[in-house]
Amino acid sequence: MQPELPSLKGVALAKGFGEGEIRTTALKDVSLELYRGQLALLMGPSGSGKSTLLAILSGLLAPDSGQVLTITDDGKYQDVWSMTPKQREKYRLNECGFIFQGYNLFPALTARQQLEIVLRWGNGATYREARKRSEEMLSLLGLGAKMHLKPAQLSGGEKQRVAIGRALIKNPRFCFADEPTSALDWHHGEQVIELLRAAAHERGATILVVSHDARILNYVDTSFHMEDGRLLENAEPSAKPTPVSAGMWRSA
Amino acid sequence: MDYALATLWHDRQRYLPGVLAVAFSAVLISLQCGLLLGLFSITSIPVDHTRADIWIGSPQVLSVDLGRPIPLRFVSRVAGIDHVEVTEQYMQMFGSWTKPGGGSDLCIIIGSNLDDGNLGSVDELTPELRRDLTEPFSIVVDEAELDRLGVTGIGDTAEINKQRVRIVGLVHGLKSLAGPYVFCNLNTAKALLRGLNPPDHTTYLLVKADSPQGANEVVRELRERYPDMSVFTSEEFSIRSRLHWLTKTKAGIALGYAALLGLLVGMVVTSQTLYAATVASAREYAILLALGIPRWRVSWTVLMQSFWVGMAGTVLAYPSVLLLARGADHLGAKVLLPTWLLAAAAVVTMTMAVFSGMLALRSVRQIEPVNLLR
Ligand SMILES: Nc1ncnc2c1ncn2[C@@H]1O[C@H](COP(=O)(O)OP(=O)(O)OP(=O)(O)O)[C@@H](O)[C@H]1O
Ligand SMILES: [Mg+2]
Repeated sequence: MQPELPSLKGVALAKGFGEGEIRTTALKDVSLELYRGQLALLMGPSGSGKSTLLAILSGLLAPDSGQVLTITDDGKYQDVWSMTPKQREKYRLNECGFIFQGYNLFPALTARQQLEIVLRWGNGATYREARKRSEEMLSLLGLGAKMHLKPAQLSGGEKQRVAIGRALIKNPRFCFADEPTSALDWHHGEQVIELLRAAAHERGATILVVSHDARILNYVDTSFHMEDGRLLENAEPSAKPTPVSAGMWRSA
Repeated sequence: MDYALATLWHDRQRYLPGVLAVAFSAVLISLQCGLLLGLFSITSIPVDHTRADIWIGSPQVLSVDLGRPIPLRFVSRVAGIDHVEVTEQYMQMFGSWTKPGGGSDLCIIIGSNLDDGNLGSVDELTPELRRDLTEPFSIVVDEAELDRLGVTGIGDTAEINKQRVRIVGLVHGLKSLAGPYVFCNLNTAKALLRGLNPPDHTTYLLVKADSPQGANEVVRELRERYPDMSVFTSEEFSIRSRLHWLTKTKAGIALGYAALLGLLVGMVVTSQTLYAATVASAREYAILLALGIPRWRVSWTVLMQSFWVGMAGTVLAYPSVLLLARGADHLGAKVLLPTWLLAAAAVVTMTMAVFSGMLALRSVRQIEPVNLLR
């Protein structure tokens, strides 16, 4: 049941930092393909270039060479890094969600406002509409009773769920997560991965997760392993169509 | 609720220095201006506390206390003009006061008509005082000036320009800047000023017109016809007197510097506060930028915060200004706080606050979403 065309392709990506003596090569000739409806995992030792790759694929960091191709509605591909900065900003606005290490929630805003702000500022949604969609999203995430609480009143797992809600509220085609579980215990980390997997399967999103945690391997559809700025060959996924138990996103 | 406002309230301790800095600036500006207005309103007391519509004096007179003698025959110039109802003499000149115990000081002799319905006697002179003043060489002074004049009260005598005068009454609230006001009748004033005021001369002619528009017309006509005397409505003459002393003493410049300094301090503190607050939220803002939300949205939020900091500071400032003005009153310094002054101070400090916000915007330019990925 894998779709024919990849939704996002990295082609021969390379990236280095610094000049001369102190130059480090973070990525060397990395190519990979991601599909819609898939939860993909990117693993590897510290400093192997995972975050760098994620930043390039998500349109936040320009590669030195190579392309990031995103599929368009008519099945063609467009290079993210040959767009103008304005176009790229628009592309991220329409297509990309982000979850980063730490929760990065505004301390002054309630869970609901953290989501509203994305719709109000990003999509120009009306207050009423933003509120309604935020409430729906938080209910789906099991935070229906907590949406009026501020980050200081939420547990770590709850905060990360709000951050997930913020990443998915726009219903993006892509979602990039860098170490989304590293601040959580395994129980809550597992919940987060389940949520992301459900979002991929039920919403048809393409989700790429960077993590150190090998336990996550059992939950993902495909995985990539990096070492020293290179993608390891044997990275082909166990390619198992993972059935989802509850269908929690279907109502959304 | 507005997100900027929510943040401001949540982190109020963080923003407090900014709010206080704005309040400080507003208080400083309002009180400085108020004190100066109060100080220089003293110079126009003779105009403000009397009932003439028009003042006629020597050519190019700069301030009410600087009038030179003009011939009494100018009365005939006024008499024939439409809208003129009453014309009256008014004397005001500096004199030399000799204290009973020795030593001398400047004083300002003010001689006016004292009849009921007159134009030139200050409001503080009650009918009884005016009756007592008809006695030759009797004078009234402000109670607060007794020390300066070296006398103790009613019944005391002293000398003005070598002629003996007797205090027959006291008034309040007419303390002056240059020299104490000495109120008397016209003949006494002429006698006291014999050497300085030629016979058949006066310092001013006061005119009552039938209406304010009438007064304006009289002024216009007299100005056109007679360049050898100056003619003002009482409003004009009052402002002219204050402005003269304001510019002559350069107090305006001192005020400008103090206000500028206050604004500068306020601006630095406020912009630093906003800058630090934005840096502290940099990661949250960076997420929004990563999500494709344009940077100007974040900048706008910082500006909104500066606006609210300005509002809070201004609101905080007003009670303090009124309280401090009261305190100054108790200490004997008059502080005038007309609405236009308070409004202007608010506009200036709000502008400063928003400008501080603009200065803090460099913190927004530093936010880079890629820095979240490590
Ligand atoms: N802005 C930068 N300037 C200089 N070097 C950088 C920069 N960003 C990353 N690097 C270097 O690039 C290499 C890859 O970094 P990257 O952050 O992608 O690693 P990572 O796989 O995400 O590691 P970790 O698991 O510890 O997060 C590292 O050697 C790092 O030092
Ligand atoms: Mg990393």
